[in-house]
Amino acid sequence: MSKLAKSQWNFGELFSPAEMRKVLSVSELTGNVRALLEKQIGTVWVSGEITNLRAQSSGHIYFTLKDAGAQLSCVLFSREKVSQRELLADGQKVLLQGEVTVYEARGQYQLIVRDVELQGVGALQIAFEKLKQKLATEGLFAAERKRALPKFPARIGLITSPTGAAIRDVLHVVQRRNPALEIILAPARVQGDDAAKEIAEAIQTLNEFGNLDLILLTRGGGSLEDLWAFNEEIVARAIFESAIPVVSAVGHEIDFTIADFVADVRAATPSAAAEIITENVFVSRALVGDAMDLMQLRVRRRMRIENENFDSLAGRLARLHPRRKLDDSLQRLDDLQSGLLRNLKTAARSRNLVLQNLAGRFLRAKPSNNLKVRRENLKQLEKRLNSLGPEQVLARGYSITTDVASGKVLRDAAKVEAGQKLKTRLAKGEIFSRVAE
Amino acid sequence: MSKPAKAGDPAKGSLPFEEALKKLEGIVEAMESDDLPLETLLARYEEGARLVKICQEKLAEAEVKIQQLEKTAAGEMKLKPLDLTEE
Repeated sequence: MSKLAKSQWNFGELFSPAEMRKVLSVSELTGNVRALLEKQIGTVWVSGEITNLRAQSSGHIYFTLKDAGAQLSCVLFSREKVSQRELLADGQKVLLQGEVTVYEARGQYQLIVRDVELQGVGALQIAFEKLKQKLATEGLFAAERKRALPKFPARIGLITSPTGAAIRDVLHVVQRRNPALEIILAPARVQGDDAAKEIAEAIQTLNEFGNLDLILLTRGGGSLEDLWAFNEEIVARAIFESAIPVVSAVGHEIDFTIADFVADVRAATPSAAAEIITENVFVSRALVGDAMDLMQLRVRRRMRIENENFDSLAGRLARLHPRRKLDDSLQRLDDLQSGLLRNLKTAARSRNLVLQNLAGRFLRAKPSNNLKVRRENLKQLEKRLNSLGPEQVLARGYSITTDVASGKVLRDAAKVEAGQKLKTRLAKGEIFSRVAE
Repeated sequence: MSKPAKAGDPAKGSLPFEEALKKLEGIVEAMESDDLPLETLLARYEEGARLVKICQEKLAEAEVKIQQLEKTAAGEMKLKPLDLTEE
């Protein structure tokens, strides 16, 4: 079986020297690969998305950069000065500059990252923050620098797209509130690569034109990229250097651009800006109307008071007039006359009464009237006389004694003297006698 | 109207709007006092009515005036009327 009694390990002439392999060690091979890569490829820029990012305690950052078809191991050493280092995260799209090499210990080729540029919205936001920081430090946003707007602007500059929604909104509001406002339009693109430059130039041109109360810089809503021109440094500086106050109204309520920070006044929307600008004139319309009403009211009220005062005075004056005193006297005279007349009448009346009385009595006493009555009276008188006379007393037995000489009736016996002649009347006849003693 | 006469303004023989308005407000307030002699009150009224007329004239503009500014190659400024009907 064996041809020769050789060592089983002696293959002798099986392989010709020409066919002898060059056998490398793993290290050698890896070293070769590394050299090859570094020489042939070396420093590159590569774009992709970060995944699997690990930050070690050493400060080195390891991650994998991938796209749809392949992936690449990356390392960012802590000593590399990369400004956005802390923003590296899974999902972040980046542009990396670095050297392709091999990490021999692992047999892995990799990219040693020297520089990073963030891509997409993230990058914009970073740029925004950086510029905002820088300009704030320089004082472009300082509140003291902001100028007050004129209260009654008569003529303004407008920077916006002539075909956008913003200009329509502004014109509608101004038409409604202060159509007397004059507007000078300096048209400009409001998005895209040339926008920032056009806007800055428009601001400068309007400043050159001059005689404007303010400049309104405005555009409608959009994405961060759409609004980007208003975040550019050139626009910020143009606003800062404008001698004419600038009102900035970019995008929607929630959008804040760097232009908004530098401007003298920021409005949330184009319409809001137009309202702010026309506010005082709009309000004054009502004031002017009211003023007329108020003045008329005051004058009328005052006239009324004056008239009342006048009437009152006129009344008092009239009462004090001398003619009035005369009238008073005349009236008094009338009164007295009537009184007199009245009294005379009364007096006359009572005299009449008296006269009538007398007349009445007189009439009643007339003789022609009453012979009969007189006879009667006489008879009566006689009767009375009779009743009062002595006949009846004499008839009862009494007598009347009289002194013949004097005829006096005697009542007292003591008064008689002897020899005195007496006459005694009896019911029938008389007796003549002489006193015995 | 915080600036003095501006180029291109309509002929302004009378008071600027802001001043007229301020004067008017002053007059209305002064008329509130009942102590004013009657002649003074009436004189103020006349003045106030005149100011109202001035203000209303200035507010009477019916149409917004908008013009476009152009800077020629020579650096001159030109104003031309703006036509916004193209959308």
